[in-house]
Amino acid sequence: MAEIHAQENILEKLYSEPKNLWKRLLILAVLLVIVGWGAYGFEIGLDENGVNMAKSIFNGLTHPETELFNLGPKGIPYLILETIAIAFLSTVIGTILAIPVSFLSSTNIVPRPVALIFRAIVLFIRTIPSLVWALIWVRVTSTGPFCGVVTQSVCSIGMISKMNVTAIENLDTGVLEALDACGANTFEKIRVGVLPQLSASFVSTAIYRFDINLKDATLLGIVGAGGIGSPLNDAIGNMRWNRVGAFLIVLIVMVVIIEFVSTRIRARLAQGRR
Amino acid sequence: MNRPPLLPKNGALDMIEFKDVSKTYPNGTKGLKHVNLKIEQGEFLAIIGLSGAGKSTLVHTINRMIDITEGTLTVDGVDVMSLKGRELRRFRRKIGMIFQHFNLVTRSTAIKNVLSANVPDMPWYKTLFGYYSKEQKVRALEALDKVHILDKAYSRCDELSGGQKQRVALARTLDQNPSIILADEPVASLDPIIADVVMSDFARINKEMNITIFINIHHVDLALKYATRVIGIRAGEIVYDGPTKDVTQEVLNLVYMGKEVPVAGEKIEIEGMVIEQ
Amino acid sequence: MIKNILDRILLRPQVITLENGHEVTRPRSKAPYLLLLLVIGVYISVRTTGFDIAMFVRRFNQLPVILGRIFQPNFGFFSTVWPRLVETIKMSIVGTVLGCILALPLSIVSSSNIMRHRVVLWIVRVLISITRSLPAVVYAYLFSFVFGMTTFAGSLAIAVFTVGIVAKMMYENIETIDLGAFEAMRSFGGTTLQSFWTACMPQILPQYLDNCLYSFELNIRQSAILGYCGVGGLGVLIRARISVRAYEDAGMIFLLIFVVVFAIDLINDRIRSKIIRGH
Repeated sequence: MAEIHAQENILEKLYSEPKNLWKRLLILAVLLVIVGWGAYGFEIGLDENGVNMAKSIFNGLTHPETELFNLGPKGIPYLILETIAIAFLSTVIGTILAIPVSFLSSTNIVPRPVALIFRAIVLFIRTIPSLVWALIWVRVTSTGPFCGVVTQSVCSIGMISKMNVTAIENLDTGVLEALDACGANTFEKIRVGVLPQLSASFVSTAIYRFDINLKDATLLGIVGAGGIGSPLNDAIGNMRWNRVGAFLIVLIVMVVIIEFVSTRIRARLAQGRR
Repeated sequence: MNRPPLLPKNGALDMIEFKDVSKTYPNGTKGLKHVNLKIEQGEFLAIIGLSGAGKSTLVHTINRMIDITEGTLTVDGVDVMSLKGRELRRFRRKIGMIFQHFNLVTRSTAIKNVLSANVPDMPWYKTLFGYYSKEQKVRALEALDKVHILDKAYSRCDELSGGQKQRVALARTLDQNPSIILADEPVASLDPIIADVVMSDFARINKEMNITIFINIHHVDLALKYATRVIGIRAGEIVYDGPTKDVTQEVLNLVYMGKEVPVAGEKIEIEGMVIEQ
Repeated sequence: MIKNILDRILLRPQVITLENGHEVTRPRSKAPYLLLLLVIGVYISVRTTGFDIAMFVRRFNQLPVILGRIFQPNFGFFSTVWPRLVETIKMSIVGTVLGCILALPLSIVSSSNIMRHRVVLWIVRVLISITRSLPAVVYAYLFSFVFGMTTFAGSLAIAVFTVGIVAKMMYENIETIDLGAFEAMRSFGGTTLQSFWTACMPQILPQYLDNCLYSFELNIRQSAILGYCGVGGLGVLIRARISVRAYEDAGMIFLLIFVVVFAIDLINDRIRSKIIRGH
């Protein structure tokens, strides 16, 4: 090791440097072990077959089937309409149903035990993945877009309620005291004192959920809940890659556009413009 | 590699030369108008003027953080506007810069900030892991020692006061071993007493290490106390350029268009102070 | 132009004259028109989706039956679920790590305050939003054709999805950071990459780790259903048990997912509080 020439006080300071090298190495080692365990026993089943398949998938994605763009009930425009309809309707239903649920799970509105019961229900809804909800609801509604609407409405209630509860618990309660002083009843208090404070954030959450529902609609189609997901699933299963290409491109364009628009609207809502 | 010639440490060369330099911003604002200036190695220059007069633009053109639009600017014989990419970065290594808001990595320790001055010369894998050698650490500590802040070496910068932060920034610049230090309003965010201390640090570095100091400053009293040469700028034009001792009330009236002259400490009789000097 | 004309007709401010002759202009609210649009939208949607409330009411009694069976999990099924659960966790760990590592450089390139080249910026941003626009299941399905029905295909699918969400959250974070130190490093000759790494990385590191943990939570939930397309993990089981209506077995699977998600939530919270304390 090269000798270091420096003044006494500098050297003293140099050697007093807090040592956290070991701590860092330990964290790194733990990370490596976890990742190593995760990757242990992985087989990358890539053979010649797979490469050829990748080529034909890529070829299909870049040469989408154009005849799907017809106006019939199997054409892409109708499927898009159906997908948007499922997402839209379930967002509306979910938002409406989430309003009472979220008030009933806010500790500053109802007594604590009541709030906890409703929170448990919301937690239960959120724990089961939407795909599984669809599998359950299919027994009630049978396959088709209606199943998608019911499933997504229920899943929307879970997520929207959670977001709304946060907004409700941050309410400015001064207004409510003022209304109490004027002798307003509970309904009047909610209508005049609470809703104006919350409407912007509720609408913002609903738009955000519409985004998610639109993406999930593809997923639910796989189990037969309608929308563009069902024919997409069939096309992948039958390895008709040109068809898959057409569906995916339309889907991506739709989601990207809707996301762009919804981000804009939510940014405006956050700034308080209408 | 055509490395720009190393700068002579002691010599009365024309270090920085502005020839008829103008700067027009994309929105049409004139930042500088036909500026002509010659600065020699080892000078302590203070630029005074109202806010928006072009002080900051003038400082930022020297290391080309701002591009000039007309005229030529040579630093140590190199036409600044001709530099590109790697050459520009190597050129910038010789010029230190100090900012009003210190521009430190607040979540890192003081010494880490000083060490960051080495990064442009380091191989990428050392930068990736933030690995610095013993020699580099010693140099960083020495730089901190020069600005009397060695005891704060391992403190995180968000725990330091404004004056301490500016000294860490100064140490970072010294670690670069520059021949010019540009300072853009270095004391504007500090209280008058600390501001005076930091300015005296600049003066000491200027004298002891013969580093050219090019400072853009709002407080006239501090400028007159420490600088050797004062440049008055008004609406992008240089209206005064001369030694500090020749600055009179008329000069200040010219620069500040007869408005109140900003000072850091208590109101001082400008005329009186100038005579004292 | 058209918008202006519409504004004139539909949103003409109303002028109210008070008793004392003073005039107040009241801006017309857009709410009625938005409500009308909403009603039209609902009507079209109801027609398109075959919304049938009568059937829903008639067959609703199915639901309590199924849920009741889910709530009586078959604990004997545990030994079958366990290896699949481990597979799911492994799949999401590898996918999350891969995705988070890839997301970092992409997010730097797509931050408007660091990346000056607008064309590259927008190309990368569009790529990021494309990876986000499809559910991971679709990627898994596609990859299963190339890599076979392996957990690797699942990890890859998760990685692609993770890149999308983490990169987006990161560029939003990077765009709000203080660029002072970055500017300082540029001023003494650092390249964009050097300056970003040394000056900005310490600032965004806590947020980056936080986003990685968040995506890990998300991915655990996601990977539970990935197997639905056969790429391994719990999904394979879920599909098999539900298709033969063995809801008690499915209930066991859900219980385990819930326990794992809850545990990971707890661990993540502890790591988060450490990060915030400024480790």
